[in-house]
Amino acid sequence: MKKRIVRCLLIVIMLLQSMGMVGCKTKTEKYSTYSFDYFDTVTTITGYAESQEEFDEIAEGVLAELAEYHKLFTIYHRYEGLENLCTVNETVDGEHRTVTVDRRIIDMLLYAREMYDKTDGTVNIAMGSVLSVWHDYRTEGIDEPWSAKLPPMEKLTEAAKHTDINQMVIDEAACTVTLTDPAMKLDVGAIAKGYAVEMAARSLEEKGISGYVINVGGNVRTVGVKGDGENWLVGIENPEEDGGQAYLAYLELSGESLVTSGSYQRYYVVDGKRYHHIIDPETLFPSEGYVSVSVVCKSSADGDALSTALFCMEFEEGLALVESLPDAEAMWVLPDGTKKESSGFANYKKETTK
Amino acid sequence: MMNQEIKTTPTVKNGGRLFRNDVIFIVALLLVVSALGLCFYFFRGEGDKVVVTVDGKEFGTYSLAEDVKVEIRTGAQNEEVNVLVIRDGLAYMETATCPDGICADHKPISREGESIVCLPHKVVITVYATEEEDAPDIVV
Repeated sequence: MKKRIVRCLLIVIMLLQSMGMVGCKTKTEKYSTYSFDYFDTVTTITGYAESQEEFDEIAEGVLAELAEYHKLFTIYHRYEGLENLCTVNETVDGEHRTVTVDRRIIDMLLYAREMYDKTDGTVNIAMGSVLSVWHDYRTEGIDEPWSAKLPPMEKLTEAAKHTDINQMVIDEAACTVTLTDPAMKLDVGAIAKGYAVEMAARSLEEKGISGYVINVGGNVRTVGVKGDGENWLVGIENPEEDGGQAYLAYLELSGESLVTSGSYQRYYVVDGKRYHHIIDPETLFPSEGYVSVSVVCKSSADGDALSTALFCMEFEEGLALVESLPDAEAMWVLPDGTKKESSGFANYKKETTK
Repeated sequence: MMNQEIKTTPTVKNGGRLFRNDVIFIVALLLVVSALGLCFYFFRGEGDKVVVTVDGKEFGTYSLAEDVKVEIRTGAQNEEVNVLVIRDGLAYMETATCPDGICADHKPISREGESIVCLPHKVVITVYATEEEDAPDIVV
């Protein structure tokens, strides 16, 4: 009798197992956390871990690293006893000082200069004077929408005289930066987020950690694949409410980054028209060519710089740039809803009905 | 019905290793286990939901299936407010006292991973849908 019961139980267990109802895999769960403390945007960390504690420890490490980069790269806040880009931008008696900074600032500035060359000057961190005019008008326009104004062109052209990146003098050995044009300012808004995300992601990779995604305001960097070994599925939001299509593209990523620059992410309204935050260095006005440009490539720093550059470039010119880079792909969304892609973008796309 | 089917089927002859009673026992066990499974499913599966966080901390969880209006109060004196509305399975920010109003311009959301962010008030609204095939891990 006992034997029969055991045999029956075994049969039941086998049946259930074949239906996938019982099993004993050690399963990792998906966790996520938000922070609003860095780069004036929202940071989301998502990861697969065996416990909340394990996730928290890793996420806190990432946030701590982002916090350091935020303090070094911000142009809006000074911190007691710290030289950062805010203090580099300051003038004393009408002159910039020669500032000894953290090595990480030097590395980022050198990278920025490299991207200036690669994008033919479209990504220019020496545009600070122009961007600060826009920043002031946008902030005022948001605080007092009834009196929102556009910056006058004379103000912009005057500011644009002081955007020569060669006036940023770096002494690598001494770790110093000097801005030799007293009216110039740095603004690393187009690359700092992506750069910091990339550094934080590499720290995880060096520790052998995978199964995480760091997302700082649309700068997404995947670290490895998901906990279950599958690729990450990333949907690029369709900002328009046009019925069926939820995503502009649906991608599969496994260690790459995806950065989207969009006109709908940050803007203010003047006379019923939206003015976003990506300023074309040629026109000194928000670039109107696209709704968004998304870039997939290995490094989130490259993705950030490239998506900003492409946003301000003619399509043909931008496409040529992307095709000249070995591991970068891009998708452009035009104001009429048309989508254009670089030759290899489709390789990341996942077929879906969504 | 399943029971009946099995009863009327002469499953095993005497020379076989299984007897009629075994079959009944197995079927009964299977029924009990699936009943348990169903119970678990219903207790666990509360359907598609919307989770609201303020500065990274959970503020509340709401079912997408029930129409509701939620005042999300923030600020030192609770003076700031975002009004979340759930209607017909869609969640959106009806109004907000934030300066830029970008959250209130955002289209309604209903799919796994979609979110609306109010940067000035540090409010995030995210949809967690029940597991569906090919749901995205991240939406940007």
